[in-house]
Amino acid sequence: MPVFYKTLDACLDALPLQSGMACSFHHHLRNGDGVLNQVCAALEARGMRDLHLYPSSIFPVHAPLADMIRRGTVSHLTTSYINGPVAEALGEGALKGTLRMQTHGGRARAFKEGDNQVDIAFIAAPAVDRDGHASGTLGPTACGSLGYALSDVAHARIKVLVTDHLVDTLDTPQIDGAAIDAVVVCESLGDPRGILSGTTAPTRDPIGVKIARQAIEVMDAAGMIYEGFSYQSGAGGISLRATQLLEQSMVTRGVQASFFSGGITGMHARMLAAGRVQKLYDVQCFDLEAVKSLASHPDHHAISADAYANPANPERIIKNLGTVILGATEVDLAFNVNVTTDSYNTIIGGSGGHADTAEDAALTLIVTPLLKARIPIVREQVTTMTTAGAHIDVIVTERGIAVNPRRKDLMSKLQAAGCDLVDLPSLLARAHALSGPPKTWESKGRKIGIVEGRRGEIIDTLFGKVAIP
Amino acid sequence: MRRSYLFIPGDVPRMLQNLDVFDADAVIIDFEDGVHPDQKEAARQLTRAFLKHHATRDVAVFVRVNAWEEAAWFQEDLACLSGSPLSGIVLPKAHPKHLTDVVFALEEAGLPMQIVALLETPEVFFHALELAKHPAVSGLLLGGEDLTQALGVPRTSAGDEILFARSTLVYAAKAFNKEAIDTPFTTVDDRDGLLADAHKANALGFTGKAAIHPNHIHDIHVAFAPSVEAIETAERILRRSETLKSMRFSLDGKMVDKPVVERARALLLRAAASRRR
Repeated sequence: MPVFYKTLDACLDALPLQSGMACSFHHHLRNGDGVLNQVCAALEARGMRDLHLYPSSIFPVHAPLADMIRRGTVSHLTTSYINGPVAEALGEGALKGTLRMQTHGGRARAFKEGDNQVDIAFIAAPAVDRDGHASGTLGPTACGSLGYALSDVAHARIKVLVTDHLVDTLDTPQIDGAAIDAVVVCESLGDPRGILSGTTAPTRDPIGVKIARQAIEVMDAAGMIYEGFSYQSGAGGISLRATQLLEQSMVTRGVQASFFSGGITGMHARMLAAGRVQKLYDVQCFDLEAVKSLASHPDHHAISADAYANPANPERIIKNLGTVILGATEVDLAFNVNVTTDSYNTIIGGSGGHADTAEDAALTLIVTPLLKARIPIVREQVTTMTTAGAHIDVIVTERGIAVNPRRKDLMSKLQAAGCDLVDLPSLLARAHALSGPPKTWESKGRKIGIVEGRRGEIIDTLFGKVAIP
Repeated sequence: MRRSYLFIPGDVPRMLQNLDVFDADAVIIDFEDGVHPDQKEAARQLTRAFLKHHATRDVAVFVRVNAWEEAAWFQEDLACLSGSPLSGIVLPKAHPKHLTDVVFALEEAGLPMQIVALLETPEVFFHALELAKHPAVSGLLLGGEDLTQALGVPRTSAGDEILFARSTLVYAAKAFNKEAIDTPFTTVDDRDGLLADAHKANALGFTGKAAIHPNHIHDIHVAFAPSVEAIETAERILRRSETLKSMRFSLDGKMVDKPVVERARALLLRAAASRRR
């Protein structure tokens, strides 16, 4: 039975705090999260230094963390995604210690295998009952699934729930109070508007629409739309359009999918309600409609990051995944994909589940315009490796579809279906014909961190931001 | 015969740069109503530079120049396009009385002699045959919006108000084996409406349809592609005709004669062309 505290300070008074300790956070509150900022500010006020943070992701709302890094309050960072001012600070080389970028599945594995050692997990919990059970589907800051927090609950030495919504009893908690040491009741976990920032509308941009249509044509030609198939896509505009087109194709054929997995949107929830798919395996909700569905639909299941994508978990959901549609910031001639940095080394994201799903899915599609803001996406070599080309099957652009040569089976199916196939060097040439070749830099800058593969292996190095001449 | 003609404003670089990725059979770079008078020169220069430096893949490129009556703009359009690798021009407010002068201007500018005549006034539909007959005219395009404005009637989704114009245009074009191109569907996000409109155009005998949004191209092609059932029937008609060495026989209780056999042959040719694209 956890101890309940009326303030964060009262809880911190009771915890064995020390400089150099490791604290973890989850990102289900996304760009509305107020918990990481509150806790870190309180720790800094108590003179803590050299903290090692393990937030599952970092968003622009975590801007105060940038200065804490510069001041040395935070010296080490292990995470799966970084976007915003913290990335800027890291690019400046402000972090004194190590920066490790992990995949979502790799983070779960690292907790389980002891690679990630966390002293205190501060877990934002939208609703907590009197026994310390927690749920993400209730309360003013309801965010749905708490899938990424469950590794922290299972493996951190001390587990603290932070909530702004106490209830008597939770019927279907996602976190068992028996595992929790303390509960802090605060005024607010954050800004609900930012929590729901994960999804966009299906793109209406003609290039995005064409790419989405081609992606579904590739799925069709590859024989991946059939009774009982499975599917995952992101919440970006092209992915949502692809999912919309997939639904039309499913209706035409009269087929039902077995499951959709990963981040879940209202569109997925509507397809579940309409009987297009049997189950949703939800590791994070991207919008309120998905949250409501998780709270009410019996076949909408919240799952942990471990159950979702831990490569060491033989029962992981994505091991049975048919098709995944993913994005890219850069793609190179070896089919390697970068979604971690831009071409100037600035961190703009991270793997999340990219490398996990790419490796496990039977068919991995990358959807991307050939140019973004007049910069070619296809390059001779990616600036940063996020996902190895060995795990990418097809790259779909508006100017052609490239199939990984190791997938000769796919090549012949797509050729037979009349898909607009092209090899990557030709796509590169097309991009350069439109925009000119991008500038390159001799100096890579200072080393600022590493990119880990799913199993903890180092797959690339992160460098400081390149000064544009 | 081209199934789709996509209008692209001449003063929007991103649209120009991507004009060959939207899968239209033809694009019409617009210098006329889609471009503000202050931007017309920018559109000319941008288009000229684009056509000079970028090869376009698998798409016929037309320019809708300004109307002959807008003499200064028309002349400036042609002067700027001189020598550009165009398939032809779209001539707004087309009228047979201007054709000789337009052809002469095209010759002077070194532009190809291929004119898609845009019919958008009530009067011109009584001269549609003259337009279609002209050797420089490759097709007739219906301008439904300007036409209904001139008629003083609202455009409706059913399209009864332009039925006479549609049929007149189709008859004239077919009389001289020219392209009959239907007016664009102007609601961007109404897929059902677009498909219904395009199917109607196909059923009336149009060979293709114009579009004002790239997202319409796919559905226009769907509507103008022969259906699987129609292809199967056409194949059975031709097989039976060849087996019997006859163009007059009965199939599924219906009489087949020479026009039916020839229509089946034309449909299969159209289907094959659709697949090649």
